[in-house]
Amino acid sequence: MDPLDLENLNALLEYDVGVSEKIKEQVKEFDKKVRIIVGILGKIHSTPTTSMPELLDSVSPVLLSCQDITTSIADVIPPDQFWRWKDMWSNSMRTAVFASALIEYLRDGSLLSLPRASEILGIKEEWKDRFSLPVEDYLHGLISMVNELSRYAVNAVTLGNFEEPMRISNFVKDIFSGFTMLNLKNDSLRRRFDSLKYDLKKIEEVVYDVSLRKLVPVKPSQ
Amino acid sequence: MTKDSVLNIFDQFRDDIDQGNDRRERLIKASRDVTNISKKAIFLLHRIVLEDSSDDRALALRAAASGREKLSEVHAIFAAMRPELVGDRFWRYHRQVSPGLQEYIEALSFAHYVEHDTLISYQQVQDTLGDAAGPFFPLTISDYLLGLSDLTGELMRFAISNIARRGGRPRASQVCAFVRGCKSDFEGFVPYVRELSKKQSVTATLWKK
Repeated sequence: MDPLDLENLNALLEYDVGVSEKIKEQVKEFDKKVRIIVGILGKIHSTPTTSMPELLDSVSPVLLSCQDITTSIADVIPPDQFWRWKDMWSNSMRTAVFASALIEYLRDGSLLSLPRASEILGIKEEWKDRFSLPVEDYLHGLISMVNELSRYAVNAVTLGNFEEPMRISNFVKDIFSGFTMLNLKNDSLRRRFDSLKYDLKKIEEVVYDVSLRKLVPVKPSQ
Repeated sequence: MTKDSVLNIFDQFRDDIDQGNDRRERLIKASRDVTNISKKAIFLLHRIVLEDSSDDRALALRAAASGREKLSEVHAIFAAMRPELVGDRFWRYHRQVSPGLQEYIEALSFAHYVEHDTLISYQQVQDTLGDAAGPFFPLTISDYLLGLSDLTGELMRFAISNIARRGGRPRASQVCAFVRGCKSDFEGFVPYVRELSKKQSVTATLWKK
C-alpha cells in the first residue's frame, strides 16, 4: 500500500477513535445521572400521594442536568453520523425517557409525547443529523414505564390509594392498544411489547381485588 | 389525555417504523444482489486467467476488463441506492449495505490487481462508487479494509492455480509476496477495525498452504 495512503487512513481512523472516546466519557456521566434518577424514583413505591410532588421535584435538577450531556454528545458527533454512534448511549437514553414518562404520568396522569421527551432532554431540532431521539428508544422507555407502573399499582393499594390501580389500568390499556397498531419486527422491542400483557394482567388483578372488596366507589355502568 | 390522542401518536410511529423496515428490506435485497454479481465477477476472473495463452499480459487485461464489465451491473445497483442512503440514512442502514459492498471491493480490487499488480487505493474505490453528480454514498474505511482483506483469500487461490500452470511459479511467488505485504500493512489497522483481526489470522493460515 502507498505509504501516504496508509498514513491518511490511519489519521482518519485515529480521528474516529477520538470521537468514540469523547462519547464514552459523556455516556459514563449520563449513566451516573440516570442511575441517581432511577434510585430516587424507586421510592415512589413507598411514598404516599401527598408527598409525591415533593419526591418528583427532587428528580428535576438531575434530569435537567442530562441536557448538558446530550449537548456535549451532539457537539462531538460529525454531521450525518448520528446512527453510527447512537448505540453507545441508547441504554441510558431509554432509561432517561422512562424516568421522564413516569414523572409525567405521576404528575398529570398523561402520556409523555416524543417531542416533549426530546424537549426535556434538551435535544434540539437543528441537531437532527447528529443527535435525536429515535422512535424506537422512546418506545423502549414507555415499556419500562409500564413495567414500573404494574408494580406501582400494587404498592399504591398498600399505601391506601385505592383509585390509582384503576387509573393505571386505563392508561396502560391505551398505551397497549397504541403498541398493537405498530408492525414491529422480531427485535427486542417486539419481545418487550409481548411482555406488556403480563403487566396488564397484573394491573387488572389489582383492580379486580380492589373492586371485589368494594374499596372504590363503583361507577354506574354507562 | 384521551385514548384517541394516544392512538394518534402511535399512528405516526407506525408510518415511521414501516418506512424504516421497508427501506431496510430493500437495502438487504440490493446488498445480496451486489454480493451475487461480485462473486460471479470473481469466478469469471479466476476462469479467464487460467486459460491457455501465449501472452499472459493480454490475458490479464482481458480478464480485468470482463471483470469490470460484470461489475458495472453493481454500479447501477449502487446508483439506485443513493436516495435510500442520503444524509444520516447512510449510517442508519450501513449494516445492511456493508456485506455487499465488501464483496464488491473484493472483486474490484482483484480485477485491479490482475491488471496493475497493485493494491487499489481507498480513493480509487470511492471513485467507482459515484457518477458525475458525486459519490452515491461515502465509503467507510472499515468496508474498504475488510473488502481488501478478503482479496488476500482470492489471491491465494489465484497463486495456487498459477503454480499448476506451466511456467506459473514465478507469478505465484510474486502474488505470495504481495499478500505478505498486504498483511503487514493491515496489521497496523487491526486495533481500529473490528473483525479485521479475525480476517488477519485467516490470512496468516493461508500462506502456510
